[in-house]
Amino acid sequence: MTTSVDTAGPAGAGTRRAGTSTLRFLAGKVGAAAVSLAFVVVLGFLLFRMIPGDPVATMTRDRPTSPEQLARLRERLGVDEPMVRQFLDYAGGLLRGDLGTSYIYNRPVSAMIGERLWPTILLVGTATLLAAALGLWLGVRAAWRRGSTFDRAQTGIALTLWSVPQFWLGLLLLTATQGLFPSRGMRSPDIPPDLLGQALDVAHHLVLPCVTLLAVTYAQYMLVMRSSLLEEMGAEYLTTARAKGLRDDLVRARHAVPNALLPTVTLVFLQFGMVVSGTVTVETVFSWPGLGLLTYEALRGPDLPLLQGLFVVLAGAVILMNLVAEVLYRVLDPRVRAS
Amino acid sequence: MAALLELHDLGVTYRTAAGPVPAVRGVDLTLGAGDTLGVAGESGSGKSTVALSVLRLLPRSATVTGRILLEGEDVRTMRWGRLRAVRWSSAAVVFQGAMHALNPVRRVGEQIAEPLRLHAPPGTARAAMPDSRLRARVADLLAAVGLPETRARAYPHELSGGQRQRVMIAMALACEPRLILADEPTTALDVLVQAQVLNLLRGLVAERGIGLMLISHDLSVLAATCARVAVMYRGEVAEHGPAADVMRRPRHPHTRALAAAFPTVGDPESRYAPATATALPPEPPGRGTREEPAVLAARGLRVRFRDRAGGEVAAVDGVDLDLRRDEIVALVGQSGSGKTTLARTLLALQRPSAGSVLFRGDPVPRSGTALRAYRRQVQLVLQDPAAALNPRHTVYEAVAEGPRIHRLPGDERSRVVAALEAAELRPAAEFLSRLPHELSGGQRQRVVIAGALALEPSVLVADEPVASLDASVRGEILALLLRLRREIGLAALVITHDLGLAWNIADRVAVMYRGRLVEEGAVEKVLLDPQHEYTRELLAAAAVPGTGEPAERGV
Repeated sequence: MTTSVDTAGPAGAGTRRAGTSTLRFLAGKVGAAAVSLAFVVVLGFLLFRMIPGDPVATMTRDRPTSPEQLARLRERLGVDEPMVRQFLDYAGGLLRGDLGTSYIYNRPVSAMIGERLWPTILLVGTATLLAAALGLWLGVRAAWRRGSTFDRAQTGIALTLWSVPQFWLGLLLLTATQGLFPSRGMRSPDIPPDLLGQALDVAHHLVLPCVTLLAVTYAQYMLVMRSSLLEEMGAEYLTTARAKGLRDDLVRARHAVPNALLPTVTLVFLQFGMVVSGTVTVETVFSWPGLGLLTYEALRGPDLPLLQGLFVVLAGAVILMNLVAEVLYRVLDPRVRAS
Repeated sequence: MAALLELHDLGVTYRTAAGPVPAVRGVDLTLGAGDTLGVAGESGSGKSTVALSVLRLLPRSATVTGRILLEGEDVRTMRWGRLRAVRWSSAAVVFQGAMHALNPVRRVGEQIAEPLRLHAPPGTARAAMPDSRLRARVADLLAAVGLPETRARAYPHELSGGQRQRVMIAMALACEPRLILADEPTTALDVLVQAQVLNLLRGLVAERGIGLMLISHDLSVLAATCARVAVMYRGEVAEHGPAADVMRRPRHPHTRALAAAFPTVGDPESRYAPATATALPPEPPGRGTREEPAVLAARGLRVRFRDRAGGEVAAVDGVDLDLRRDEIVALVGQSGSGKTTLARTLLALQRPSAGSVLFRGDPVPRSGTALRAYRRQVQLVLQDPAAALNPRHTVYEAVAEGPRIHRLPGDERSRVVAALEAAELRPAAEFLSRLPHELSGGQRQRVVIAGALALEPSVLVADEPVASLDASVRGEILALLLRLRREIGLAALVITHDLGLAWNIADRVAVMYRGRLVEEGAVEKVLLDPQHEYTRELLAAAAVPGTGEPAERGV
């Protein structure tokens, strides 16, 4: 028997350098995210300067105003300053956490976004969690019995729901439930202030918007999980696992599904970031006091500082979630760590 | 006592959309304890199907007939529970473990331990093995295959190909099976590593009295490892007997073809004579009478890469190499020796850190139209034609792409037809509208070669051109290269790990080791009288067929 061993593999070296390479990886990713965010800030600034129309004229649309009043308003808003000056003010404000003052509500934009953030996170968080759980579960079952009635029916239903417009589904649900659930807002005015009662009231309000969002988004989790698992199912290591004597359901649970889940991690987080900005329709239909509804209100103005602030925050959410997904993926998949 | 494994009239049929396809027919094989049986055959011959049927691992679309007796018990009629208990504890499998047979995201130690948890040894309670004993057992198994205990914490991608195969073997030994089925265990491994893995497998089997069924497309591997060899052809056993007999006196024509495909270095009959059905043209007259200038030359070529830690690795470390018109040079070495980097640098796909590449005496241009003109002259043929061809391009598109890019004058269609004819795809008109998946492996490689020939190059660089092809096709493709050299004086640099290939068609051999050419010269001189230690090792590792004895390590 031979005694020579090919020990000169990359593993030993890999563990030695793991520490520095992780740091370098993190620094790189955070740096890239910061660059993206900087682009978003610049883009947001330029985009809302290109909207036609005079903001001062819009604000005073329905009120009689004297030229002096207009001039004072112009000076306070700083709309006549040179672009570079305006941008520096805006960027400087951003660094201090100041997103400017809303034209219409005359309140700090950051405070407005702050109070509307939590309802959106509640709605989107719940809907994403449920959609991911439902979609992944259905995707696993559909892939494991590829071509079965279950597979075909569920894929069809998911695709149909995905293609349905959100506002239409929302209105349909409103009509179908016949007042079983509240149709608008997040709280009822006449609820006693105890914690449980308040929580149940919010949950009651949450049902319809959450179901709407869930129904239109779960299809992508299902389809990605399905195709990812189908790909894994052809893998040879599953034959190894079966040859070892593992039961079929254990082969699936221990080997196939965990590996097939990896690509969906990125999707879930990226989607969470996207959905925050994608709830405009649902929040508007159900008057859910979140960022989506706020965007809708700001657009009706148009309230430039508010829109600008929302743009930066929503885009920032996508960038942040993408960063989280990339870091998490590295933790979960040892192969990524190596490359 | 019953034999370990008896196959009686085994038949396997796959249901496909095009109707039932018989994969295996009337196979009778027996294997006793401590016995070693080699099963040879090309892809599609049914050899892997036989192995998978033993543990009922075939896909649902397969129908199995006949009897498969594993230690006297018919596998076909076993209940699921019994079957699962038998799997791995009675018979374990060593798959072609290059990468895919191991779960890529779990540590190899866990994967070795998995069957141990599953099949508690007789006499102990189920799943009663404590973690400490499990770890100790995994360490023992790793030690048995010559790996340090610390490797248990590695992921498959952190191991070399040979180490992964050792892990597969350790895993197969975990439950002390009486039978091991090894399906192409050394394919895709380097010659030296292949010899190590085969030695290990042979040693363990002999030491523990395990029955071994070894499946390979390479007769010499089987002859060096197994006492008996069965040759499969189109689902049937074409020939069966003691390994030495099958190798020395093959009766079935297919066995002869398989044996001829892997020539013995030093056998004058296979020198300049790859296994081909059509005759080779004679050597052009006056060859070798005058010294030709080099078409392509490397001078002091160095390529350095930065590794992850920021250190420098010299992939090519000062190489001088000449390639002349009407000459085939074989570049031989292990994976990681730098031969592919050298080829990429010659093709101007990789910039050298130092030194230069000369084409007809002038440095190769680095950009612009001059570089494009150079690329036309030096063409590349890759290892895997299935991956090298765009699956959605027809043969015509694939071959015509080069002439289009280089805006070659003349009628495109006649150029494509001429290239296909030159690559021996005849009649060419029949192939023009075919898609890659409608072609056999050998035909695909001919399309790749035709794509290169369409540009009328003066040099062909072929990276393992036959490594992914079946034995019977291998000889034909090598013959094509030899014919092109003799007929149009094409210069070729063939990168290979296969010394038999060099003996078959090359004029000169350059042996590469750790980025340097350690030995270079005429084939007869280098392969019959090797001067460098590494060349001797390579030659020794290529098993000596027909003797039934393991190849001697040259160390």
